[in-house]
Amino acid sequence: MSVSETPTTYSGARKGEDKSFEGVWDTPKGIHVLSSVSHRVVGRRFIYTGFVFFLIAGVLALLVRTQLIVPGNTFLDLETYNQVFTMHGTLMMFLFAIPILEGFAVYLIPLMLGARDLIFPRLGQFGYYCYLFGGIIVLSSFVFDAAPDGGWFMYVPLSTKAHTPGLSADFWLIGITFAEIASVTAAVELITAILTARAPGMSLTKMPIFAWYILITAFMIAIGFPPLIIGSILLEAERLLGLPFFDPMLGGDPLLWQHLFWLFGHPEVYIIFLPAAGMVATMLPTFVGKPLFGYGFAVAAVVSMGFISFGLWAHHMFATGLPILSLSLFSAASTMVAVPTAIQVFCFIATLASGRPKLTTPMLFILGFLSIFVLGGLTGVMLASVPFNWQAHDSYFVVAHLHYVLIGGMVFPLIGAFYYWAPHFTGRMMSERLGRWVFGLMFVGFNTTFLLMHITGLRGMPRRVATYAEGLGWDRLNMLSSIGSYILAAGIALFVFDFFRSRRHGPPAPRNPWGAGTLEWLYPPVAPGFNFHAIPPVESREPLWDQPHLLETEAHKVEGVMHGIRDGRRETVGCDPVSGKPLYILRLPHPTWLPMIAAAGLALLFGATLASAYWLCAVGAVIALVAFTLWGWEPSDSGVTRDAGMGHELPVNVVDRRSHMHVALVGTMLVLMALFASLIFGLLYLWNIRPEAAETLTRPALLPAAVAVVLGLAVALFGQLTRRAAVRDRFAGATVLSLLTVLTSLLAVAALGLSLMPIDPWASALGATLWAIGGFVAFNLAVLTYWGLFNAARRLTRRIGPGQSMPDFNLATFAKGCGLMVAVAGAFFIAGAVGGVG
Amino acid sequence: MTALTRQIVAIARPGVVWAVHFIAIYALISAACAARALIGHPTLLIAGAVVTVLGVALCLWSVAAPRTGEDGDLRPAAFWSGLIFALAILANASALFFFQSCGG
Ligand code: HEM
Ligand SMILES: [Cu+2]
Repeated sequence: MSVSETPTTYSGARKGEDKSFEGVWDTPKGIHVLSSVSHRVVGRRFIYTGFVFFLIAGVLALLVRTQLIVPGNTFLDLETYNQVFTMHGTLMMFLFAIPILEGFAVYLIPLMLGARDLIFPRLGQFGYYCYLFGGIIVLSSFVFDAAPDGGWFMYVPLSTKAHTPGLSADFWLIGITFAEIASVTAAVELITAILTARAPGMSLTKMPIFAWYILITAFMIAIGFPPLIIGSILLEAERLLGLPFFDPMLGGDPLLWQHLFWLFGHPEVYIIFLPAAGMVATMLPTFVGKPLFGYGFAVAAVVSMGFISFGLWAHHMFATGLPILSLSLFSAASTMVAVPTAIQVFCFIATLASGRPKLTTPMLFILGFLSIFVLGGLTGVMLASVPFNWQAHDSYFVVAHLHYVLIGGMVFPLIGAFYYWAPHFTGRMMSERLGRWVFGLMFVGFNTTFLLMHITGLRGMPRRVATYAEGLGWDRLNMLSSIGSYILAAGIALFVFDFFRSRRHGPPAPRNPWGAGTLEWLYPPVAPGFNFHAIPPVESREPLWDQPHLLETEAHKVEGVMHGIRDGRRETVGCDPVSGKPLYILRLPHPTWLPMIAAAGLALLFGATLASAYWLCAVGAVIALVAFTLWGWEPSDSGVTRDAGMGHELPVNVVDRRSHMHVALVGTMLVLMALFASLIFGLLYLWNIRPEAAETLTRPALLPAAVAVVLGLAVALFGQLTRRAAVRDRFAGATVLSLLTVLTSLLAVAALGLSLMPIDPWASALGATLWAIGGFVAFNLAVLTYWGLFNAARRLTRRIGPGQSMPDFNLATFAKGCGLMVAVAGAFFIAGAVGGVG
Repeated sequence: MTALTRQIVAIARPGVVWAVHFIAIYALISAACAARALIGHPTLLIAGAVVTVLGVALCLWSVAAPRTGEDGDLRPAAFWSGLIFALAILANASALFFFQSCGG
């Protein structure tokens, strides 16, 4: 294997030219480890931090169960009880389930797909710190005795200033929104990584099933989180600034919050389930010794689940007085989602039946998953029926159902996954004997706790009550449920013990200890930090089974592309999204503190908002902006070709729609469009539901709105022309055109603002929503402006040299997206002005 | 377009069709049943039937279409995706035809 040492002048960033291949990939030592950007480090941090949140939330659950162990208990006062169950739900859903699963994905995806790192390592680090700081903000509310107490879904009007005057709701809204940034950035990273960085020959059909699960999950996060982010921002704006989005007196509607929350909240439970099911689909074939039954079925089921889960949200609102016709629509859709779920379960069972499963610890957890999750699915179908739902609504039946789905569907596979992949983290095996105990305790404890809750619920016990009277038929059931929860907790404690024990005393893991077929087991655990010396071509879905030479050769001698080092840079191979053919060399960043500083700046911004210290907010914003600027202020890498081995002479970074940057940009646009669509939904919703309030609204100004539409189109046009000039290497032309893009976007902001001038956002919810739309579009245009100026500055300082068109190529896509938003917003303003909104 | 790309499209298309259909039905119900009462019940039914027929047809296209190509592993995925979404579209539409008014 030749290592190309072509001394052609390289215009890209100089990094580790004095270092060896191993040196370039070394994880920094000491305190500098915090600056690491490797997916292995960041993924592990997500996993460990998520697990800590799980333990904290678990302790809170034990407090709840202890309070309910006997009737009339006074262990917790009412106030504290509300805080404890709210924080339990909040931590579990937002700070444990999603981040820990994303952590596993961040860790495993590059190893499974044959990449040296995730595509945007710095974004990974940034996301992790956003998550950490956001989580700390939420947790710190305990210290200030201001823990949120409005339930994990923060319904208005309870959570408005009038009914929750303290800071507790603000802690929730701000901390959670901040942590969600992490989920969204990780989603964009994962989409890009899966689509653009796979081993040579790994077409989408040859991709491990786990990657399909994560790909769909990531798309769901990109579309599903925005409604809640918008909802939270609107609610925080109502609390902080008094804008009346949810105030029925001023044409708002509390149900709008429920819609936005559950537009996120329902997909969320599938976002939690799918990666865990993906883990099951990965582990199961290993223990059966046969490939997953019905790969095609599974892919279809995952895709359809991803879509259909967005059409169910209002089944959480059956008791709010929606029209019966809506109820039946959502009831039908909720029943239908059982079809793809059942197909997956069927694939798992058929796989089980196709061989002789080895009853290892992970396998036990898979069986636990199947039995518990299926029961949870069945109660889910029951709850999808409106009359039954009315009966069981807000009772312990629902608590039982949701834990069957969440613990069965996610915690059991997760613990199984720890047993399975632990060698990756520690180099050692966990104990099979203790593992059986962990499983037994968890399984018995879980069912004791939650099976009985179905009955408690049917006997009428409402959820979220701090205590209950004696003699209602709930006493013994609650006692048993509480005892069950201690058994469950003992199982988890034993798991934690086993994990730490095995780090020191576990038997060292051999190469491919379980006999798995996927690429992450190519190296003896722990795999080196760069994952692969050379990235082997892949011919099947289970390369380690079907390409025996991979395991017959010592791992570092396996043949593949990208052997050695070029220009002293970290790099991996970029591929065609569909066929997996190597297309380009992907240059990856080296360790840096900037993403952490950016996240810290944002943390200051958010934290200071809580403390109403607005000058500090400004400081935080400036820190973040400077860090982001330095982050991007690098010489562009593109424009040279290098020998990638195995006969591939590849360019560094293609300038193309298939490039990683462009795929990520499209992912980001998806997030932005979902945010924008959530606002438009809010507007149409209020307009439709409160016609009498809409009638009294002052109209937007017509002329500026019309001008805005034209300017929006101009922004898109100039963006596109900049791209053309850049691709044709017209240096001056591209600079001028990108400045024109900037100019038109500034004018568009002005036009939108002028159109809204007559409207008082404090006077009505509809007016406030129009302003929110204007504000959101203006924010995007501000980013566009900054980016355009930034590109021009890089051009003038030769950080973008001749022949390098990637930055402008990407800017054009963003400009087109922004132009579209301006035009749509302008069109709505025109409609308001012409038709009158009433 | 390669055979594989065609298959990917055939998997995703029914999903998009389902999404558009869902939005259409939800919008129609909202238009007919909210305070503003933009459309009447007959319009709701007719428009609902039209989008449903269109939606199901487009989904079944994936069921019938891609039968060729050397890399055939995702063919069943396209087939099942088409079928699942066709069923889901029918289920969503069935809501309209069970009730003679918005109710409640
Ligand atoms: C570790 C074992 C667990 C136990 C013993 C437990 C126990 C409970 C109990 C008793 C409640 C009802 C509180 C009430 O309504 O007054 C509850 C609520 C809840 N739990 Fe758990 N839970 C556990 C794990 C989980 C997990 C893993 C998740 C999610 C991934 C979760 C998510 C929730 C949510 C979302 C609520 C609703 C909170 C609310 O009403 O605002 N729980 N849990
Ligand atoms: Cu739901």
